[in-house]
Amino acid sequence: MAEKRVKLGRKNRQRKLSVKISILVIILVAVLVAASIVIGSITFKDALTRQYNETAYQIAATAGGYFTEDQLKEYAAAVKKLQTEKLSDEEKEAVSSEITGNTRYQDVRTMMEKLRESTNANDIYIFLLDLKELGKYTPEADEKGEWQPLYYMMDCYSQTDESFTFGDRGSIVTKYMDALEKSQKTGKESDTYIITNTQFGYNITAIFPVKYGDQVVANIGVEIPMSHLQSDIRAFVFRVIMVTVVIMILALLISIFLILRLIVNPIHLVAMEAINFVSENTVVSEKLPTIQTHDEIQMLAESLLALEQGVNLYIDNLQQVTAEKERIGAELNVATQIQADMLPRIFPAFPERKEFDIYATMTPAKEVGGDFYDFFLVDDDHLAMVMADVSGKGVPAALFMVIAKTLIKNQAQLGKSPAEVLENVNNQLCEGNKAELFVTVWLAIIEISTGRGMAANAGHEHPGLRHADGSFELIKYRHSPAVATMEGIPFKEHDFEMKPGDSLFVYTDGVTEATNAGNVLFGEERLAEALNRDPGAKPEELLKNVKEGIDAFVVAAPQFDDITMLGFTYYGDNVTE
Amino acid sequence: MDIKKTQDGSKLLVAVEGRLDTTTAPQLEKEFKESLDGITDLTVDFQNLEYISSAGLRVLLSAQKTMNKQGGMVIKGANDVLMEIFEVTGFVDILNIEGA
Repeated sequence: MAEKRVKLGRKNRQRKLSVKISILVIILVAVLVAASIVIGSITFKDALTRQYNETAYQIAATAGGYFTEDQLKEYAAAVKKLQTEKLSDEEKEAVSSEITGNTRYQDVRTMMEKLRESTNANDIYIFLLDLKELGKYTPEADEKGEWQPLYYMMDCYSQTDESFTFGDRGSIVTKYMDALEKSQKTGKESDTYIITNTQFGYNITAIFPVKYGDQVVANIGVEIPMSHLQSDIRAFVFRVIMVTVVIMILALLISIFLILRLIVNPIHLVAMEAINFVSENTVVSEKLPTIQTHDEIQMLAESLLALEQGVNLYIDNLQQVTAEKERIGAELNVATQIQADMLPRIFPAFPERKEFDIYATMTPAKEVGGDFYDFFLVDDDHLAMVMADVSGKGVPAALFMVIAKTLIKNQAQLGKSPAEVLENVNNQLCEGNKAELFVTVWLAIIEISTGRGMAANAGHEHPGLRHADGSFELIKYRHSPAVATMEGIPFKEHDFEMKPGDSLFVYTDGVTEATNAGNVLFGEERLAEALNRDPGAKPEELLKNVKEGIDAFVVAAPQFDDITMLGFTYYGDNVTE
Repeated sequence: MDIKKTQDGSKLLVAVEGRLDTTTAPQLEKEFKESLDGITDLTVDFQNLEYISSAGLRVLLSAQKTMNKQGGMVIKGANDVLMEIFEVTGFVDILNIEGA
């Protein structure tokens, strides 16, 4: 898995990132170039158009200077008369020829022809705009050629044979009607560019109102071709593209170089160091501190470094904790062994004594437990037996058990009665018992020669007793409080007598409270049943029977409490093996 | 297990319901540890308690010892099962059980 990642990291990732960034840069530059071409063309076209427009108006102004005020007023009055008054053809002819036949008219016309030729204009013409006629516009009238608000006074068209003559009428491009009307009324040049794109080419027209006083007497129209405009713009665009492509390539190379150097390479280094850290068993990388980009990548590198150090610290810590745990586990094993060794475990315990048989077992629930049993000869004729259970479990209970067991044995060996023993042990255990643990104790001391004895029960389970040839029964009676509950309390004891063949069985609550998967307790009834499966069995067999009974009942449920049992059979003098 | 507390000045009534065993005893121990300060009369109501184990007895013993120093403690309402446990374990001699 780690090997695969290393390979991926070395090849694909770096290339991927740089390719992605390059594509991004190309797209960005292309968008910028397109935008600059569009904006540049529009600006360029506007500037050129304005230039053409101004030229046209300058020509018109020049042409206007060829006329005198009287002259224009005369021509205007004449064309108006021709159009508005009802005249016969002869009368019309007379009016026209009076104007056109005049040498001044012809001189001006010649000058205007020259002006047109020298300025490369398509057309220079002088006309009167009839505002009344202009207002009568309808699309139908325009289509039929009936709407013609322009009255020509002079027309110097480049195609001479198509020129209007004095008194001819004409229409205008309806799009510019409003602009024209406005300039007519104000006497100022129109703001609107009058541009026509017909079979005659791409042209711009200036309509220059000639004004005397408040009145516009006539208009001078100048149409000039803008044939260079398109090619000029194409050339401009071409130049822009050439320059920007060169800049783009340079920018691309520089940006890729910078991106590789400033971003991709450091990131790649960080990634490789992370992979190395994983694959090379947590060696903190030395290259990370060399990343000094003063930006997020350095932050990333520093974070990774801190992470690596943190991981190592954690691993160290974990190793220590694990070692500690192992040590505690090992010590607990020793403690279990010590605790087990504290209990008499060699059977037969008294091979030379034929008057009785004794057997005991302890199965702790945790490594060390709070249950214990004990038996020892107080003197040649007295046997002491102890069964006890410290409240709680684990190490605290085990430590308490060690003290309790030692104290009981010490006191008993002084030859005291069970009640005296417990009273002394109780007072000693109560001293400084901050943990408030206590221990239930069953203690019996039996005179081996007679079978008579004394027993005390400090809050412990009911002992089971079987008379020879009978069955086991639990002996229930009122007990004393558990040992170490309260200082200075007295303990009760009672005497008993065992006949040869009688048996005794004592245990802790781990037996009766063994729980199966259904949370049901083993209980005293099942205990009696197990005991009476073979009531005459020797103690070792008897304990085995009970343990088997518990195991069969509990099945796989976990053991919660220590299970401790002791069996004793009295033979007296007459029975021997 | 359910614990209900009713306090009246320095008198505290603690009603314990359900089972008081190894798993629930620490809960009661915590309750006692937190609320016995300044209490002179502690009454423990076992009317609805079904069972008590040695771990539960230990908590009662601990409370009894605390209360011996600052006032008194009474256990009431214990049913026959509980009474038998108290008697067999000898706790009747240590605890102040009403009706015993």
